[in-house]
Amino acid sequence: MSAPQGFLRRYVFSVDHKVIAKQFLFAGLVFLALGGFLAMLIRWQWAYPGRPVPGLHTLLAASDGAITPPVYQSIFTLHGLTMIFWAITPVLIGAFGNFLLPLQIGARDMAFPRLNAWSFWTFLLSGVLLLASFFAQLGTSGAGWTGYPPLSGPTGSPGVGQTLVVAAVFVTGVSTIMGGINYVTTVIRLRAPGMTWFRLPVTVWGLFLTSVLNVLFVPVLGSAALLLLLDRLFGTAFFAAGAAVGPRGGDPILYQHLFWIFGHPEVYILILPVWGVVSDLLSFFGRKPAYWYRGTVYALIAVTVLSALVYGHHMYQVGLHPLLGKAFMFFTVLISFPGMVLVMNWLSTLWRGSNRFTPPMLFALGTVFVFGVGGVTGLSLAGLLTDIYLHDTLWVVGHFHLTMAAAVFLGSMAALHFWFPKMFGRELNSRLATVHFGFTFVLLCLVFFGQLLAGWSGQQRRLADPYQYDFIKPLLPLNKATSHAAFLLAASQLLFVWNFFHSLFRGKKAEANPWNVGTLEWTHAPSPPPHHNFDTIPTVVRGPHEFSTDEAKARGTDWLPQAEGP
Amino acid sequence: MLAALPRDISADGHLISDALRRGLVEQAVLLGVLVVWLVLALVRFRASHAARADRGDSPRQVLTTLGVVAVIFLVVDGSLVTDAISATEGTLWNFAVPAADPDTVRVEVNAHQWAWDFRLAGPDGAFSTRDAPSDDDVLAWNELVVPVDTPVHLQLTSTDVVHGFYVPNLLLKTDVVPGTVRQLWFRATQLGTFEIGCAQHCGVNHYKMRGELKVLPKAEYQAWLREASKVARLGADREDVGARWGWAWKERPR
Repeated sequence: MSAPQGFLRRYVFSVDHKVIAKQFLFAGLVFLALGGFLAMLIRWQWAYPGRPVPGLHTLLAASDGAITPPVYQSIFTLHGLTMIFWAITPVLIGAFGNFLLPLQIGARDMAFPRLNAWSFWTFLLSGVLLLASFFAQLGTSGAGWTGYPPLSGPTGSPGVGQTLVVAAVFVTGVSTIMGGINYVTTVIRLRAPGMTWFRLPVTVWGLFLTSVLNVLFVPVLGSAALLLLLDRLFGTAFFAAGAAVGPRGGDPILYQHLFWIFGHPEVYILILPVWGVVSDLLSFFGRKPAYWYRGTVYALIAVTVLSALVYGHHMYQVGLHPLLGKAFMFFTVLISFPGMVLVMNWLSTLWRGSNRFTPPMLFALGTVFVFGVGGVTGLSLAGLLTDIYLHDTLWVVGHFHLTMAAAVFLGSMAALHFWFPKMFGRELNSRLATVHFGFTFVLLCLVFFGQLLAGWSGQQRRLADPYQYDFIKPLLPLNKATSHAAFLLAASQLLFVWNFFHSLFRGKKAEANPWNVGTLEWTHAPSPPPHHNFDTIPTVVRGPHEFSTDEAKARGTDWLPQAEGP
Repeated sequence: MLAALPRDISADGHLISDALRRGLVEQAVLLGVLVVWLVLALVRFRASHAARADRGDSPRQVLTTLGVVAVIFLVVDGSLVTDAISATEGTLWNFAVPAADPDTVRVEVNAHQWAWDFRLAGPDGAFSTRDAPSDDDVLAWNELVVPVDTPVHLQLTSTDVVHGFYVPNLLLKTDVVPGTVRQLWFRATQLGTFEIGCAQHCGVNHYKMRGELKVLPKAEYQAWLREASKVARLGADREDVGARWGWAWKERPR
């Protein structure tokens, strides 16, 4: 197999999983910047409601830079959608899934390389639809990322912006399903000789289970989006109810069921790859086998199985049958069992290790902590009783940002810092990365702790001016401090941007295996790997975490490769 | 104070606030264990420490891991589930309690972009509906007036989008969904005026969908009700079908 010649075939319309991975990475990072910018606008509004945003006098010309309520609702809607579907999904699954799966299982490419390219271009099309919605008459969607009808229906949100956004979600779902089928097939069919299921790096397990969930549940989101489009465009009333439709209405709760059957697995879709990466990195940099590897894998599988049985906890307050509410509560707390096994295994891996505080390790450790906070604060939301008060408050926002934003961001950073040398053949500046980690970790904690505190005090989500309420007025100093932490957090990302681009072009050339670990991408491919990945497909003889064993010591080292020979 | 739960003004809000506080303590303890373990591991076992190739998969280790997790699960998750079931089924969502009390005040609530309409049946005890007008219904806009120490039973629906009825000082909340009727009941124990908010994003002016809960002494409430229904009867307009959005009260709505 030789690499295609010519710029377009090689870098643009490529079917090479490594090139597609980078396409997803760059596209995802651009959307991450957009989503982050929108987050800053939300934080501005909560610190200085109604005051013009510095520098936005032309962008928001009608209000001279101030965020009006219609603009505000579009901002938080698009912040959520952009981050989940256009930033985390492409970076975590599109980029790392694509890059790592073939390399870590010892394959030359994905099972369906062309489908892989289609997946990226479909993703890009969905991004264009999303961006186009900003320019629609009446603006883009303002119905919240969950898009609950009737608010997201034709009467609640007239205008083509909402239609474009629903269509964009549908199209990005198509992209995700194509990717999911490809990843699942690749892991099942293309593992190198000897790469048994229990020799897979946990990263591969995480990405594999994520893809299983994507294949099963993104179609459900697609069905919800499609029915909503029919309601909007062809006058059906699947989700319509109330005065606008009278007795011929459908059921808005049906949409919520469809949305959350997807929506709850989605949070595991986003966190499973991170759990996998963290499980591997703690072992790699603790120079110690992952504690109870099989237990970790079983825990990931248990979460995957349970993920769709817990979704009703998003709907405790819509009037579920009491038995249904109790059943969902039971499954929801049950999922904390494998979650705790996972955390115990991580902590036990660190215990009696030889822990090296490299940037990827620091980011992985940060992930463990913020995920811990996100996990325990979810307990109050799992309970039918405490959720009555906390439902729709900033406690929910703080909780899911700690798990889905902070843990996923730190986990993605861990992955990026770890695999950057393999992806780009150059090293990141580790001192700069350490400083970036310090700022990011502390500020992420401050921002989302601030949200938990505001939620504990009862502040509702999605208020254009929270201080309309007397009981929220005393929270202004807290919200302002949280906002300032958020602004600093955003500013400190410039350290990463500079490190990323500077290292990309000027960084020290990376060796094949700078971290001294045994997985195939490091031991059997140079940095960066050639078009065909491996000169000969390696034969795997052991697991991914063979550190500090007697056999290794006998060889005068502390690690063993998954496959012997060149 | 950086953050605090709202002052509880109800007979049963403590069920929720106690569970919240207990949960917070449990969460803090779990997090404390995590942090101490993490910090100890990182301080004691640094690069200078030689790693032990411990796979953690001996039967004893696996049982220890599962045992620790099981204990935390039974204590923390177990109490969470039992508390939740007993408090919701016994009290908060047990509508047999207000149904059995002869003094219960029944209110129908119609949420719409962006206000709360409250309807009391008046002296005749019947709610005005499209088919069966009743002229003495007391209608209030964004103001829910209730007597102290008396069960108040709300049934809520929406005419347009999903809203969320939320009274921080009662620690109570429910989604309000068009096409269905939701319920809440409470007993206010303190006099005064308290805020009602919308918890579910309902469009541009979601943030302005604010109402007030006014808790009056019983006698004062009765006087207010008499006066208000007298005024209502004077102003009643049978041509105005839109004003008759109430529904025949059912103890078990759909």
